[in-house]
Amino acid sequence: MAATSARPGMPESESESAHPELGAPTTGPPKAAPAGRTTASQLAGWALVLGLLVICLLAPKLFIPSFLRTLSAVFMFATLAQAWNIIGGFTGYPSFGNVVFFGLGGYTIAVLMARSHWSFWPALVVAVVLGAAYAMLIGIPTLRLKGHYFAIATLGVAEGTREIVLNVPKVTGGGAGITVPAVGPSATTSYPGNTGFLYYFLALLVVAMLAVYAIARSRFGFALRAINQDEDAAAAAGINTTRMKIAAFMVSGAITAAAGSIYAFQQVSIYPDRLFSVDITVLMVIMAVIGGSGTVIGPLVGGVGLQFLSEYLRQNFTDYHTFIFGAIIIVAVVLLPEGAVRFASETVRQRRLPIMDNLRRYRL
Amino acid sequence: MTAALETRDLSVRFGGLKAVDGISVTVEDGRVLGVIGPNGAGKSTFINLITGQIRPTRGKVLVAGRDLTGAKPWKIAAARVARTFQINKPFRGLSVRDNVAIGAMFGAPGGGSVAKARGVADEVLERLGLSGVAELGPTELSVAHAQRLEVAKALALRPRVLFLDEAMAGLRPAEMEPQLELIRELRREGLAIVVVEHVMRAIRSVCDTVLVMQEGRELLTGPPDEVLADERVITAYLGQRYAERQRAERAEAGGSGPAVADQVGPRPEGETRAPG
Repeated sequence: MAATSARPGMPESESESAHPELGAPTTGPPKAAPAGRTTASQLAGWALVLGLLVICLLAPKLFIPSFLRTLSAVFMFATLAQAWNIIGGFTGYPSFGNVVFFGLGGYTIAVLMARSHWSFWPALVVAVVLGAAYAMLIGIPTLRLKGHYFAIATLGVAEGTREIVLNVPKVTGGGAGITVPAVGPSATTSYPGNTGFLYYFLALLVVAMLAVYAIARSRFGFALRAINQDEDAAAAAGINTTRMKIAAFMVSGAITAAAGSIYAFQQVSIYPDRLFSVDITVLMVIMAVIGGSGTVIGPLVGGVGLQFLSEYLRQNFTDYHTFIFGAIIIVAVVLLPEGAVRFASETVRQRRLPIMDNLRRYRL
Repeated sequence: MTAALETRDLSVRFGGLKAVDGISVTVEDGRVLGVIGPNGAGKSTFINLITGQIRPTRGKVLVAGRDLTGAKPWKIAAARVARTFQINKPFRGLSVRDNVAIGAMFGAPGGGSVAKARGVADEVLERLGLSGVAELGPTELSVAHAQRLEVAKALALRPRVLFLDEAMAGLRPAEMEPQLELIRELRREGLAIVVVEHVMRAIRSVCDTVLVMQEGRELLTGPPDEVLADERVITAYLGQRYAERQRAERAEAGGSGPAVADQVGPRPEGETRAPG
């Protein structure tokens, strides 16, 4: 007989005191205080964002051109990390093929501008729509998979798409690449230059940040987090998990395609190996995870921090920069598995630096 | 009158295994059906077939007369059929309040805004005595509170049919009583309730009808006292040898009372669970 521990001698009062909710009414309004705190820290956060935004807008007057290019790359990667965060962080579907939307966006504007003589802006709209549509197309089959199965499937889709682009040279230029008409009489849209692209990438980053901020507070965001935690329970709670996952992937794909479009225009000449490079996906994932996936600010922190770091290492340690960068990433993942943002909020909450906690927890 | 829930010949095969084989039940509004049976009898699979987690290979599911056989879980939820899971499935990243609010956001017909859903969640938490822990994370709860949270998440859907899959598991006797009282209260409010349970005391005290399952099939159905006294049920639960020994003991004592009830039922100090 598997009898559970029925304790006949247990006094009734003990079990009651352990569960005050069964009798006594709960007192006090516990909601006011935390809400007030959140507002204060939110205000500080937004003030910081606003301050940075002003500096960014003044950047062309403050910095030299090469730094403006670095800054453009920083904004672009923060945007890509944020876009990945929607599907990988909030929804919990670790896409390892998000670069496919980047490449698709880039090739869409390149082909439309070079072959069909479109100007940049309508081509950008088409690229964004195609990014979302392609996410739906590949999402319908792949989002039935979970965890690393989904990761591998998306990786395969990205590699396959690159091969397709490589093998239709009449449209894409194949391995020789394609050149966006940027100067001279064939240019459909005048080349925006360092300052122009800085603003394009900044604007896109702001859009991505606001989109994720809005998602995090909406029913959609709650649905994604519920799916992330437990998909069966989410479905039982009435969430159309299939539709929500595909929608998340589409938003992620659309933002990523926009980033790819601007990047292709900035680079002028693009090649499949570069625009569909797995490295770009890996960077998106690392930036989002180290910053804090599933948070609004995390991918911004990770994207800005790691891109600046990578740039600094490249300039100062020419021979070893990838080695050092890799080592730093490993250390960061070991020490901050939950990401920098959650680490920072834990530090504030506990009033101590829990830097070794993860090592102790897993006895690494 | 159309029953709140009806299944007809509901079956599913996993390869050669008939996990659920031809189960037909009817649950009216304001009635409680208990489903018992040894582990592996197909009780949870039976629920999964009705709530859309698994598609049946044969048979029908009717909710208030509407055919929802093989519908997706969210369609079932929209038809105001809610469930708990045998293994608690809280949304870990969210507070207790938001865990409950999710159901109100998406399950309730027409849906609701985040703010409105939190309002509904607060009402449900208040009713279940969980207001004090609304701000906590679900992993910070006691076993009793965690079990209540599962029920709260289901109630946020404002269900007319409610499935409780082992909502008493792990509870101490004193903690079970409020849970049982809640079931009685919901029954009075007209919900059709299906409880899967190993705790016989719970089955006896809240069920109108009990379905006993064994190896996917219906062993028998009837009022709790009758069913729990049935020889076949004792054998199914306790095994051939134990049942024979018990029969011998009973013959010796000259009694003829309800055997399973004697074995695992009305002792005031607690529940006894079926052999695992």
